[in-house]
Amino acid sequence: MLTERWARLRGALAQFMYGLTGYEFARHALEMRHELESVFMVVTFGDLVGVPVLPPVYSLRLLPYVVPEIATWKRHMAQRKEFWEKDEYDLHGL
Amino acid sequence: MNTLLAVIIGALTVYLAYTLYARRIDRHVIQSDPKRATPATLYMDGVDFMPTNRNILFGYHFKSIAAAGPIIGAIVAANLWGWLPAIIWLILGVSFLGWASDYSGIVISVRNDGNSLSAIAHRLVSPRTRTILFVFIFFYLLLVAGAFVGIMATVLESQPKTQLGVIVLTVMGLLLGQMLYRWRTGLVGATVLTVGLTLIAILGGGWTEEVFKAFTAGLNNLSGGAPLVTYFDPTLANFKGADAKIMPSLLFWALAISAFCYAGSVLPIWRMAQPVIYVGFWITALAMVLGLTGALVAPFMKPEVAQFVIPAFRGFNPQLGPAGIMPLWPMLFVTIACGAISGWHALFGAVGTARQIQNEADMLPIGGGSMFAEFLLGLLALLAVSVGAKGAPVGAFATGLGGFISVWGLPIQYATSLAFAAFIVIVLVVTQLLFRVQRVTLSEWLGDVFPPCRNQHIASLICVALAILLMMTGTWVYLWQLFGGANQMMAALSLLLVTVWLASVGKNWMYAGLPAAFMWVTTCASILVTAYNLYSNVYQINMAAGRTIPVVGSALMILVALLLVVAALYIGLDTWRAFQRYRHRPVQQRKPAAARA
Repeated sequence: MLTERWARLRGALAQFMYGLTGYEFARHALEMRHELESVFMVVTFGDLVGVPVLPPVYSLRLLPYVVPEIATWKRHMAQRKEFWEKDEYDLHGL
Repeated sequence: MNTLLAVIIGALTVYLAYTLYARRIDRHVIQSDPKRATPATLYMDGVDFMPTNRNILFGYHFKSIAAAGPIIGAIVAANLWGWLPAIIWLILGVSFLGWASDYSGIVISVRNDGNSLSAIAHRLVSPRTRTILFVFIFFYLLLVAGAFVGIMATVLESQPKTQLGVIVLTVMGLLLGQMLYRWRTGLVGATVLTVGLTLIAILGGGWTEEVFKAFTAGLNNLSGGAPLVTYFDPTLANFKGADAKIMPSLLFWALAISAFCYAGSVLPIWRMAQPVIYVGFWITALAMVLGLTGALVAPFMKPEVAQFVIPAFRGFNPQLGPAGIMPLWPMLFVTIACGAISGWHALFGAVGTARQIQNEADMLPIGGGSMFAEFLLGLLALLAVSVGAKGAPVGAFATGLGGFISVWGLPIQYATSLAFAAFIVIVLVVTQLLFRVQRVTLSEWLGDVFPPCRNQHIASLICVALAILLMMTGTWVYLWQLFGGANQMMAALSLLLVTVWLASVGKNWMYAGLPAAFMWVTTCASILVTAYNLYSNVYQINMAAGRTIPVVGSALMILVALLLVVAALYIGLDTWRAFQRYRHRPVQQRKPAAARA
């Protein structure tokens, strides 16, 4: 019982330390990846949000891989002022 | 009074306020429901909206809100009014206002689809409230940037032992960014290397002391030992006021800090701002943990560093300058900001943290819990300055904290160096982030009417130039109090917004409404008092002496103060109208569909 509680406490402390230290880097890395993916999506599937894309044949081949991301991506695009760059990651939309 | 007793009082405050008050509000007013979907789960996108474990988010939120505020505020307040009013305000502030503001900032965003405070104000109150909030935030950031650049330049110029540490911190921050994001080095190894080297440079600041002293002397010889600017500083000569001089060396350090902040503002965040903050965080955390635990055991192990040596109470209206006034109400309540209540916390909580809450039951431990942890940081700063009466306010803080750290066996000169460095580092890293946020706010606010503001270099240079101008007035105490007023006003505005929202959904709004009204009146009054002090203590005296720069700087500060009050009046009026509207006619809440038989 005591060992279990100690293990739980240690786990919570480790998570707290991760939140204090590495979590911000992990989040930022995710944001950077997300930005790259957004550019990729605009280039290949821009017509879904009104940007004409000329060679759809490659897009059709990629379609099965990006289907899970489409709803999220469209929502992000709808919130944006510009397609190609996001001014800030942190505190955007203060 | 000794440090052990103060820490025990602090711990009891946290326990009682959390269990008896905060939890009650969470259960009976907000009725947080672990089964209700949060924006993080509803709109999960793996980036902005991401359900995150409670413990991780607690660490993240605490780190994001803990900055220089609780330290500088406690130092100034203890020197003006004594430690007793400061500790009473810290305890009452966090128990009845601070946690409520932080927690509510998260709650209102979670219950409104993860929207920011300004977006909610736009919907619930009026569209112009959002614009006024932007103006307010910009000047709020400008004030704190001016105060921090001034404080930092003074400390760096007068403490040549600290200069090596700051330079190495910058280099290590750049190296860490490169290692993590480009070379893909593991976080632990990169942390050990960069933090270790920075720590060595901080502790070994004495090695280069003579070199930097000679450098300072060389800089001052450029003007033949004459000052660049002379101004009247009401904080000198034991708060009676005296002429102060800006020497070339002070201007050099102010410009060096500005260059550092400019780089932090325009470079990609991973390149400089984020890793420098990370390295700085470890230095500060080390000093704070050693200091807090040291304060706890000091009465047994080293009693001479545990006794309060400054007066408990210095009076209701201490003198600051020949013609100024400094009444305990309202000035104490804005001088100590972040350890008791802070608008920044609510602002950040609504944007950064609320979108990662995975369960409504986590809102109180994360929002309220982080504020109580911040209170402990403010308490530690107050203890440090109360036991270390030697020297100027910042010096007294470093002496006190160094004494606590030395309890663990570190020689006192190294412990004091570490304490000084912790102070400098925390202010420095916050300042560069401030310029970054300020630049973005300026672009959002004026970008449409003045397109050059959209350029990040121009926007950053405008922010830096304004901060330097404010610094040249030399009155960082007034700058700090104006910032404190703006910060507390931000907290009042967020609580006002929460009050309107609570009224709009038919809930009891008293827990947010009463603190909001108190802080709104207090901060309006404090900003006006500071404007009066600036006029009578700085503007008039420097005008009579024919000094242009301090006159322009103080006039700008008075203008900013009046602008803040006008903005607060507008927001208060709009919010009051919205509150009356919703109080009589709450918006009907959507109920879950009834289950079919």
